[in-house]
Amino acid sequence: MERMVEDFHNELEKLKKRVVRMGNLAQDMLKKSVKALKEKDTDLAKEILNCKNEIANMDEKIEQDALKLLTLFQPMAKDMREMATVLKMITYLARIGRYGKDIANITLELADKPHVKELVSIPYMAKEVDSMINDALTAFENEDVETIDGFTAREKNVDELRYSIFRECLTYMMEDSKTIKRCARYIMVARYLERCGDHAVKMAEKVFYMVTGEHIDLDPPGPTPDCEL
Amino acid sequence: MSEKASLEMEVKDLDLWYDTKQALKKVNMPVYKNKITAIIGPSGCGKSTLLRCMNRMNDIIDKCRIEGEIRLDDKDVYQKNYDVVELRKRVGMVFQKPNPFPKSIYENIAYAPRIHGVKKKKKLDGIVQQCLKDAFIWGEVHDRMESSAMGLSGGQQQRLCIARALSIEPDVILMDEPCSALDPIATAKIEDLMRVLVKDYTVVIVTHNMQQAARVSDYTAYMYLGELIEFGETEQIFENPQEELTEKYITGRFG
Repeated sequence: MERMVEDFHNELEKLKKRVVRMGNLAQDMLKKSVKALKEKDTDLAKEILNCKNEIANMDEKIEQDALKLLTLFQPMAKDMREMATVLKMITYLARIGRYGKDIANITLELADKPHVKELVSIPYMAKEVDSMINDALTAFENEDVETIDGFTAREKNVDELRYSIFRECLTYMMEDSKTIKRCARYIMVARYLERCGDHAVKMAEKVFYMVTGEHIDLDPPGPTPDCEL
Repeated sequence: MSEKASLEMEVKDLDLWYDTKQALKKVNMPVYKNKITAIIGPSGCGKSTLLRCMNRMNDIIDKCRIEGEIRLDDKDVYQKNYDVVELRKRVGMVFQKPNPFPKSIYENIAYAPRIHGVKKKKKLDGIVQQCLKDAFIWGEVHDRMESSAMGLSGGQQQRLCIARALSIEPDVILMDEPCSALDPIATAKIEDLMRVLVKDYTVVIVTHNMQQAARVSDYTAYMYLGELIEFGETEQIFENPQEELTEKYITGRFG
């Protein structure tokens, strides 16, 4: 019996390491997609599209193995919280990876036209979101909730960035209707990045639950930022 | 569990020695009315001993010495002149291994009410039928009431024993690993039965099966080496135990 329990804890550790690897891939896809968009690098964009299956497979395999462990060992207390966190994390990470793929697709759609202007706000927003994803993953890996301190403020900041990109795009579209197609895509990219920030917050909440056993709301409802010009 | 539960029994500073060996050490534990309380812990931690104290089953063990109180209706059941027969009428017990009397199914249930003074056949028939129905076994035995109870399956025998415990209308039912000799289907039936019974009775169960404790109980007590380490709402104990010993035990990191 002791052997079995030891096996379970070894398997759980391995599973958590796989989640971190999946997280690194998702992070990479998102980061590279914004780089590809900024630099109009279609080769890089295609490379990201190729990762699509890999991340989907990881999601599926980790889920299957987690369910197998749940069934065989019926874990309790912290073990149970870790399993629950693994199962939620992979969903958030798969979505982040998919947003990377979506941005790569936009890069290909916009490949034949120059940018409306040099992209500054989107890469800046992507950097902010990436650091949140990174911190959520680090907190998960090290079981350290201090890393996610300040997530509420960072999430608000990312929301503000999204609306500021939206407002900026509106001015270009009003000035010149030929920019509408491109600007509409930029607005979508900003929306995707903001969703990735939300996923980072959700991951942080789950990590907090995993470590402490307490539920926490890092994104309490507040006033919606002003979208008017 | 939002509603505040009221106390049915209360264990207060209970010490118990088997000769020189102390088996329970200053145990304090509430037993809430119309709730299921599960007692878990490794073998030899004193959980069955504690359960047996609740209807003074340890009285019959030589060299067993008890200090402290177990209160029922604000009276200490260990005080002098306490009517033990009355206590066992109010606090019934179901054991690990089903132990029906080697009598007919009918007699198993009718036995206790009869010695407690119910004489009329019609009234006895009513009690027998009701108890068997309450223990979810009526449908399986109603057409063979005169057959020997020993011919029933293990799961059926255990439900019969529960029906027998119900026949004297106790307030509390103690169950000492009631499912450990049963297969998963019979176990599920007993667990369902517990959840129904708890509407009218208070249940205390000792179990080695933590999933079972997590599934059926409202409160869980974790015991180790004769001490009550942690007591709390079941969800909290299994999701987020406060004591390291509890955490280690329920995640199998023990020893």
